[in-house]
Amino acid sequence: MTRRRLLDRLFTAAMASFGLAALGALFTVVGIVAWRGAGAISLSFLLEEVRGAGADGGVLYHIAGTAILVTTAALVALPISIAIGLLSHGYLGDGRGRRMIEATLHALNAVPSIVFGLAGLALFVNTFGWQKSWLAGGIVLGLMIVPTVAVAFLEKLRAIPASAIQAATGLGLRRSMISTAVLLPQAAAGLVTGLLLGLARAAGETAPIMFTAVIFSGATLPKGVTDSPVLALPYHIFVLAQDSFDPAALEKAWGAAAVLLALVFGLAIAALPLRLRIHEEAKRV
Amino acid sequence: MRSNRRFDVVRLAAICGSAVALLAVVALGAWLAIGSVAAFRHEGLSFLTANDWGYRQESFGAAAMLYGTAVVSLVALVVAAPIGVGTAIFASEICTRRVRLAIKMLVEILAGVPSVVYGLLGVLFLRDWLYVLFERLGIDALSGDTLLTAGLLLAVMILPTVATLADDALQSVPSRVREASRGLGLTRAEATLFVILPQALPSIAGALLLGLGRALGETIAVFLVVGRADNLLPENLASWPPLVDAGQTITSKLGGAETNIAVGDPLHSSAIVALAAILFGAVLIVTITAEALRARAAKVMGR
Repeated sequence: MTRRRLLDRLFTAAMASFGLAALGALFTVVGIVAWRGAGAISLSFLLEEVRGAGADGGVLYHIAGTAILVTTAALVALPISIAIGLLSHGYLGDGRGRRMIEATLHALNAVPSIVFGLAGLALFVNTFGWQKSWLAGGIVLGLMIVPTVAVAFLEKLRAIPASAIQAATGLGLRRSMISTAVLLPQAAAGLVTGLLLGLARAAGETAPIMFTAVIFSGATLPKGVTDSPVLALPYHIFVLAQDSFDPAALEKAWGAAAVLLALVFGLAIAALPLRLRIHEEAKRV
Repeated sequence: MRSNRRFDVVRLAAICGSAVALLAVVALGAWLAIGSVAAFRHEGLSFLTANDWGYRQESFGAAAMLYGTAVVSLVALVVAAPIGVGTAIFASEICTRRVRLAIKMLVEILAGVPSVVYGLLGVLFLRDWLYVLFERLGIDALSGDTLLTAGLLLAVMILPTVATLADDALQSVPSRVREASRGLGLTRAEATLFVILPQALPSIAGALLLGLGRALGETIAVFLVVGRADNLLPENLASWPPLVDAGQTITSKLGGAETNIAVGDPLHSSAIVALAAILFGAVLIVTITAEALRARAAKVMGR
């Protein structure tokens, strides 16, 4: 074998071992959670409320709280992202307005999640006097995922063939009609994909909600807006990981982590088929 | 014929909705800028250079946190860069298209593992493993809660981001470049290292910077394993043992109890806001640079 061939083999082997190391590390992460969490998960774990500072009972209201936060985030992020997409592609040309929207999305995407949390604390908790509230957490999470949702929507809008819009214009449709009858349905898949990915992220975040929306124990379902905290899976895991040296509580933390991971992966996997299709279409254009 | 100047509800709604996002960014920036004035007026430049953070003494020198954030993020980047880019080369240049897509899918799903889950793994596994390792190597560490622990945990966390964006970068090099260099008799290693990689370099740099941006802002996992020891600065910044000291990052401070303690104390809360402003500024610069690199590369490749 010549030296060049040998170096080529070595290179291939080195890159393959990097790839295997990366996949191996990531699978170890998931594997440990599944292995340690499996022991804790049972039907009663999912359907009972927490008792004994996390050492006993289940995570029913943590799941409910996370669902409330994520749903609120969706209701905040969806209209904003639709507005951004339709304004950008239905009304604005390839000019300054569109660049400003892109800059806004980049800036929003650069805000660290803890800074979102602090801003929520300053605005909702301290200025509005809401105390801790599910609504504050939902709004903060919703704003946080706007870039994820909007960028996926914009990507799909960009892939709409110009002929479709020309045809609609030729039929005499006004811009508002083009936006709602052509752009929105044609790019809806991007919106759904982005939303699923955004919600997967929102469900797992701790920093934006720890000061604004969640407490460790003593909350069930919210009855109003002010002083209406919820429980949430990520914050529960966070507190148990931080404080607890009680093996029973840690067992529950693994269980909660496994439930959270299943939820997040479920959302990400649901986004996958649409996402791959968008990827391929984007390449063809 | 109806006039185009007719009142357009969709347009109005689209403008209003977009304005909410713009307003949120502007308000956030203004709040960070105005809110940090009191702290900088009180401390001056020593907010960045002094190492004496203590809210009871009303002194807010954040040098140790800036150091902690820098060290932890750089460790993460140095570890994740070769593995992430190597994974991308493996997927993009060596694997078949199907295998590449499968790897990419897996990596992108794994990118969604929440940071608190990494934190739990860090607390219950990584810090114990590292402590045992330190003992074996004869390194004098007080515990497994160190800057190195946080950096390694972050490395695993940003690995998927780096790998998938670096793969995008390599894929954006046109296949005719690959075909031409192989046609000239270059081996795959030579074609990758001397032709494809250099062409993809700007957007790979962008991928690394986006990974760095994620590491800078990461809070929960770092918080759980960094030790959160205030005002620890090594005497010699260049020596490596300080990595096995406990430390504090900007994010681990912001995520801690002081954020609640500061409520109602104008100076203390201003110091907290100033930390947040520095963090946002750093991530913003890194992100903008990364996006600019990636956008320019996309333009060049598109030609």
